[in-house]
Amino acid sequence: MDTLVAQYSKPMFEKENYNQDDQVDLYNPHPTLSLRFAMPPIAQPSAWLRAATDDHANPNCPIKIAHGTTTLAFRFQGGIIVATDSRATAGNWIASQTVKKVIEINNCLLGTMAGGAADCQYWLAYLGMQCRLHELRTGRRISVAAASKILANLVYSYKGMGLSMGTMCAGVTPSEGPALYYIDSDGTRLSGNLFCVGSGQTFAYGVLDAEYHYDLSVEEALALGSRSILAATHRDAYSGGFINLYHVKEDGWVKHGFSDTNPIFWKTKLESGEFSNVTSELV
Amino acid sequence: MNHLPQAWGRPRDDVYGAYDSSYLQSHGPNQHTQQPIVTGTSVIALKFQDGVVIAADNLASYGSLARFTDVKRLRKFAGTSVVGFGGDVSDMQYLDRLLNSLDIEEAYSSSGHSLNAKNLHTYLSKVFYKRRSDFNPLWNQVLVVGLDDDKKPFLASADLLGTTFSAPSLATGFGAHLAQPLLRKVAPDEETASKLSKEQALAAVKESMKVLFYRDARSLDKYSIAIITADGIDLKEDEKLENQSWAFADQIRGYGTQVN
Amino acid sequence: MAAMFSQNPLMNGPNYSFNQTPTTAAGDNKEHSFYPYTDNGGSTLAISGVDFTIIAGDTRSTSGYNINTRYAPKVFKIGGTTSSQEDATLVLSVVGFAADGEALKERLDAIVKMYRYQHGKPMSVKACAQRLSTILYGKRFFPYYVTAILGGLDEEGKGAIYSYDPVGSYEREQCRAAGAAASLIMPFLDNQVNFKNQYMPGSGVGHALQEREKIPLPRSEVEDLVKDAFDSAVERHIEVGDGLQMMIITKDGIEEIYKPLKRD
Repeated sequence: MDTLVAQYSKPMFEKENYNQDDQVDLYNPHPTLSLRFAMPPIAQPSAWLRAATDDHANPNCPIKIAHGTTTLAFRFQGGIIVATDSRATAGNWIASQTVKKVIEINNCLLGTMAGGAADCQYWLAYLGMQCRLHELRTGRRISVAAASKILANLVYSYKGMGLSMGTMCAGVTPSEGPALYYIDSDGTRLSGNLFCVGSGQTFAYGVLDAEYHYDLSVEEALALGSRSILAATHRDAYSGGFINLYHVKEDGWVKHGFSDTNPIFWKTKLESGEFSNVTSELV
Repeated sequence: MNHLPQAWGRPRDDVYGAYDSSYLQSHGPNQHTQQPIVTGTSVIALKFQDGVVIAADNLASYGSLARFTDVKRLRKFAGTSVVGFGGDVSDMQYLDRLLNSLDIEEAYSSSGHSLNAKNLHTYLSKVFYKRRSDFNPLWNQVLVVGLDDDKKPFLASADLLGTTFSAPSLATGFGAHLAQPLLRKVAPDEETASKLSKEQALAAVKESMKVLFYRDARSLDKYSIAIITADGIDLKEDEKLENQSWAFADQIRGYGTQVN
Repeated sequence: MAAMFSQNPLMNGPNYSFNQTPTTAAGDNKEHSFYPYTDNGGSTLAISGVDFTIIAGDTRSTSGYNINTRYAPKVFKIGGTTSSQEDATLVLSVVGFAADGEALKERLDAIVKMYRYQHGKPMSVKACAQRLSTILYGKRFFPYYVTAILGGLDEEGKGAIYSYDPVGSYEREQCRAAGAAASLIMPFLDNQVNFKNQYMPGSGVGHALQEREKIPLPRSEVEDLVKDAFDSAVERHIEVGDGLQMMIITKDGIEEIYKPLKRD
């Protein structure tokens, strides 16, 4: 009865306005990486979202989300090598050749980006915030194990909603030494010595597995990371652009360039005699 | 998430179920929940020197049935503006009630100024956009006419998705195909429209209404027409199309039983 | 959380088995609701220079084969203190579904204005870029169907452009084309702005060819490039045409230029 009275005592147009909570959400000037998301008001949001965004099942889907592609990371005696390509594709369209797929969570933790570019950027930024809060609360740097678990638990709580990310968390801490975790949007979290993630993963694994051992020198390890990405960019159409190379050490990470694959490919071919399937005749 | 290279990062069918493209279809055999039922067809409008002309016929169709033949689809607002409604008639009536209550509320406040057509259009487009975001659309495309903040002629469109645009001449529904080219010939741009006389504009709109009646099977020869200027609204709700000539009908070939 | 899982018919039973992949959509109750998007066509383009940024867009709005209007701006000033935005420092372009674009623009504008009132200074492009990303991602499960580009001058006074996908992944770039004719304009930009596949004449043949040195382009040249890009897009894309709206951001403010394009 009260609602009935309320319904008729209020001017009609007020029903069409946003309620106060919605307004605060819409125009809140304070930037927050929040966990509040607008949902389509229907029974099966995930199926609806998929219909609109799955460019593999339906190449004509209206909203094409940028996807990232080949990334790898491996542990060795001198720390961790993280390497990625830089291509983002939306369907068959190369949306960008200059994507930064290594995300600097803080000065000693790195995350990689494969799958939905926005998913990775947002959740790794969110993770960065959580890591900083952990530091402020405890006065100590967060362990890679804990950081990766925050991320894994987070994406697991959104399971079935259509997130797409395959990421690796790499860091060196005094308590753990070099630590490497793989986390994906299914909620999987694995620790390991070596991971390749993305549509070019198989090609990268091929090169990496053949040459990898834990006692690699730093130079060898950097070269192997770069060479594995090169192989993937060569054979996987959805990978390419630049090779983004990082080395994580106990005192933080070091960037080893963002280098165009094309000259590297020709250098590798002409100087080392690899890629002999490709002719070197250009004219 | 799919880990196979060719579909890496995309949803897996065994987790999400098969891809269902029916979500993308805005029409199709198995959509029942939301669609317009009793509908009005085109609304057309044209700016001129010191105002705007707007017209819409008086028919509300039930599918292909010409169900109601005296429905007024041009509604006045606050004595300053007119809204022409195309699409669902019940949603039109709801919006009319909504605008009335808004008008009453605004009239009570002592701010001393009333909402002009531009304000009204902004309001309506927000209502439409909020409703589409709630997946509960008001199934209309409307033209809002009147004067803007600078007392210049104002004409803009808003539709069920919240899409808005403005132009020297506008037409909804079938009118976008049939009437808009005729109106654009008279007023290709704002400058030309600002030199048009009231008589020229009126003639162009009446001619367009006639062409619409010739070819739009959901239209009627009884229509409403309004002229909005700084002097106020001149709304006529019971006009009849004049000087019809069906001579062209004789020349039409290729329909029905008459093949050649 | 339980509600999330139950959306998926197969999540409640055993799953993750390759031989159970369904080939047709589940037949149980499904809501047939209306489709909340449309595409209004058009294209946008942004190029940054040493001390300026240009963001441009055509002004045609379409639905299907119809032209809604020949003048519907896609490029907006953001965060000025007045309704005319004359003291704005940022520019946003949106292309895709115009109503979502409008909603996004108004939301960002309100937020940047609030920032300005509270902090007593305009928002930097970098901060605004991050904020825009979170706004877009806030609708990750019901996306804004728009491709946005944000432009301004960075802290050093250099031209800055940030480009976005519909759910908020973003990147700072030298140049970017978006919208219906992106695939026509972007390759042209790669060649003319970043000098991709351009080599020094006479520097050799085959592997000895030297790449053309990359130099920043002056403003007048960039303006011509933008006009050429749109003239070409208009020739080959039906959803692009009518007018070209250009916003040029320099330390002296934002200059707006309108040039006619072919209207056929």
